[in-house]
Amino acid sequence: MDFKELDPILHSQLRLAVMSLLISVKEAEFTFLKEKTNATSGNLSVQISKLKEAGYIEITKQFNNNYPQTICKITPKGILAFENYVKALQSYMTL
Amino acid sequence: MDSEMQMSESESMQLITSMINKAKNFYGETGLFYLIWGWVILFCCLTSFVTVYFFKNQNGNLVWLLIYLVLIFQVIYSRRIKRFQRTRTYTRDINGFVWITFFICLMLTIFVCSAFKRYEVINPLLLVLYGMPTFLSGIIIKFKPLIIGGIFCWLMAFISPFINIEYQVLLCAAAVIAAWIIPGHLLRYKYKSEIAGKNLGNGF
Repeated sequence: MDFKELDPILHSQLRLAVMSLLISVKEAEFTFLKEKTNATSGNLSVQISKLKEAGYIEITKQFNNNYPQTICKITPKGILAFENYVKALQSYMTL
Repeated sequence: MDSEMQMSESESMQLITSMINKAKNFYGETGLFYLIWGWVILFCCLTSFVTVYFFKNQNGNLVWLLIYLVLIFQVIYSRRIKRFQRTRTYTRDINGFVWITFFICLMLTIFVCSAFKRYEVINPLLLVLYGMPTFLSGIIIKFKPLIIGGIFCWLMAFISPFINIEYQVLLCAAAVIAAWIIPGHLLRYKYKSEIAGKNLGNGF
């Protein structure tokens, strides 16, 4: 049986939650991710930055009625990484 | 949620499933356009019926030109909210295309029927068309009142050949109440309740 290594970027509760949300929507605002994951703003910001550094998500900052808005979107590299992570999980679980 | 907490494989899988379900159940439907279009079409139906039936004045049908004004408003407003939309889902985009398809079919139907001077079939065909996006939107956003509303439109279309032509516009009025106005108010209520729940910190 071929065991695939779990991607350390994704094998973290909050980052995996963010990626799971982003794979299901076209793009999502920071507050949507915060609300769904129940994370604190600071922790979420740090984890989102890590995902961005890995090239898994894109971040766009804009203003909505003078309020800053952060929009996150999964990248093709992120989709591939997520798919590989799920495949790796499945290979462990079918043991 | 702890960012660095170690998870087992099954916990990871559960987390993925739970997050996908949370995102899947997010539609962000405010019901605003159902209400605007519902009330406008109802107003047009009743105004044209009263002026034509009671006052024998065909100019009452000019009230339908109001639709173009509402359409311009919708295009401007939709572009604005799209620009500042917090979260965009695939289902919302598909739903949008369903309504664009409906509008194109609606305009073509009116044009073709008018070109062939078959005015008596316009209302029954409009009822058939009203049912399509309403039913599909109900399926897409999993909202039963819209599904029932869509079926009600088709029921009205089915009985329209047995109704005198001058009363057919009243079938359209009944259809928009069932298909757009009632579901629109229910969606609005649901949306406002969700917002209130989030403001109280119960958004989860």
